[in-house]
Amino acid sequence: MGAALCPSPPLLCPLLTGGRAVLPELRAACAEAVGRLLSEDPEVVVIVGPAAATGTWNPGGRLDLAAFAPGLPGTGTGALPLALGLGAMLLDQAGYRGPRRLQAVGQDEPAGACAKLGAELAGANERSALLVMGDGSARRTLKAPGYLDPRAESFDKGVERAVRDGDLAGLLELDQALARGLMATGRAAWQVLAGAMPAPAPATEVLYCDDPFGVAYLVAYLRPRSGLGLVIRRIPSRREVARRGARPRPSGVPPSARAAWPG
Amino acid sequence: MTQRVLRLGRHAFEPDRLLVMAIVNRTPDSFYQPGVTWDPAAAMERVHVVVAEGADIVDIGGVPARPGDEVEVSEEIRRIVPFVAAVRDAHPDLVLSVDTWRHQVAREACAAGADLINDTWGGWDARLGEVAAEFGAGLVCSHAGGLPPRTRPFRVAYADVVDDVRRGTLALAERAVAAGVQPDRILIDPAHDFGKNTWHSLEITRRLAELAATGWPVLVSLSNKDFVGETLDAPLDQRVAGTLATTAVSAWLGARVFRVHQVRETRHVLSMVSAIRGDTPPALAVRGLA
Repeated sequence: MGAALCPSPPLLCPLLTGGRAVLPELRAACAEAVGRLLSEDPEVVVIVGPAAATGTWNPGGRLDLAAFAPGLPGTGTGALPLALGLGAMLLDQAGYRGPRRLQAVGQDEPAGACAKLGAELAGANERSALLVMGDGSARRTLKAPGYLDPRAESFDKGVERAVRDGDLAGLLELDQALARGLMATGRAAWQVLAGAMPAPAPATEVLYCDDPFGVAYLVAYLRPRSGLGLVIRRIPSRREVARRGARPRPSGVPPSARAAWPG
Repeated sequence: MTQRVLRLGRHAFEPDRLLVMAIVNRTPDSFYQPGVTWDPAAAMERVHVVVAEGADIVDIGGVPARPGDEVEVSEEIRRIVPFVAAVRDAHPDLVLSVDTWRHQVAREACAAGADLINDTWGGWDARLGEVAAEFGAGLVCSHAGGLPPRTRPFRVAYADVVDDVRRGTLALAERAVAAGVQPDRILIDPAHDFGKNTWHSLEITRRLAELAATGWPVLVSLSNKDFVGETLDAPLDQRVAGTLATTAVSAWLGARVFRVHQVRETRHVLSMVSAIRGDTPPALAVRGLA
């Protein structure tokens, strides 16, 4: 089965961003990625997201909105880590009522352990779909939460390239310390994805790739080439692209929506 | 717990006295009107103006809160200490505050005449208390959510932000007392925007009475901040009305010190709140009385 890749900023949740629509194109891209995932009619959706420690969470859990916006309904003791909570929200928004598994991966989990976890998840049920929640660097610009780190752009471009090319093994080479230094919270979750979708390279489509608030957001849909389901849109392989002498262009990538906010 | 007298410098302020702390930044790059008092003469002129407008305290800072070029200890000292000394000479009675998180800077500033150490970064440098104790200076104990100095909040979440602020500032106040800081010279500051998103800053404003109930005098620093900007969808130069509204609410709920850019307007708001509460009479009341 396939995988959807989404970022996990709290601002994905419309209730947290006040009266004005924030990044509707990002939200739409996430909805599209999840919609495609669910169109495969999976038996279970596994949400993978970074957290303090590796472990599974109650499938009935939800994001604790009150932790981010006092006054909104809280979840009491059932609060999920941010990434898992937002993944659960995306499934809810898509109307998914089927079985779900909530898999946290520790932010300090090394690449090998992440890949092993991914392989286990994929092996547990071949009709399981993955919703992988992970973010690039939060140090992309002077106004970014983590300020500007000049290494951030090439790090994120490397991730984007690996996803775009279906070269998931490349994700396993991401440097753990660098990712931490760049506040790239998605590293471990991406490496779980790499373990879950070994060769051959999946067909991928990048639906959003930008850093409107100085945090790199990547939305993509990936499906295995060996899969029996319908391939909605075929993406040229790296070899084909090399032959044509061009890099595949992203489809559906909206124009930049940079914040016009001072301070 | 009831509010007590607050002592700053040679002054003793009763609980019903609302104080204006005017911001004078010795920086080229602070967020509001960057560089406007970078020139020493302009900064001194600004001090004269805010004193004339009714400032009770002047808060002198040498490092912006937001991330940016590193400012070494020696450079921070160079920016603010000679200026503190000059202001002390020009205004012997004025309460002088220094906005710093570093004990080395605080020590030099207190030696030059500062009365209060305004630490907006939540006691990151644990030695600030010992400097305040050594000089008989005051100390502001703030809540920055555990963030290191000059960093921005990133997806911060609190089970209860007010509870976190209350516990954090109380712990710092107790640490200060243990270090020998005079208890009647200690303030607490929930530090709007520091380690908080806009919802969190609105919540601490809404529930400010809970912080005032600790008995420690509450300082609020609201002036033109992002939570005002986001609430109103207002750019930096259009946040004064929102700041003043938040000032009025905070005063009503028990805040006693207000760190601001707009001194005259804030003075008016606070005088109005004091009169509404019945703490001070109107300056003049003849309407209908003739």
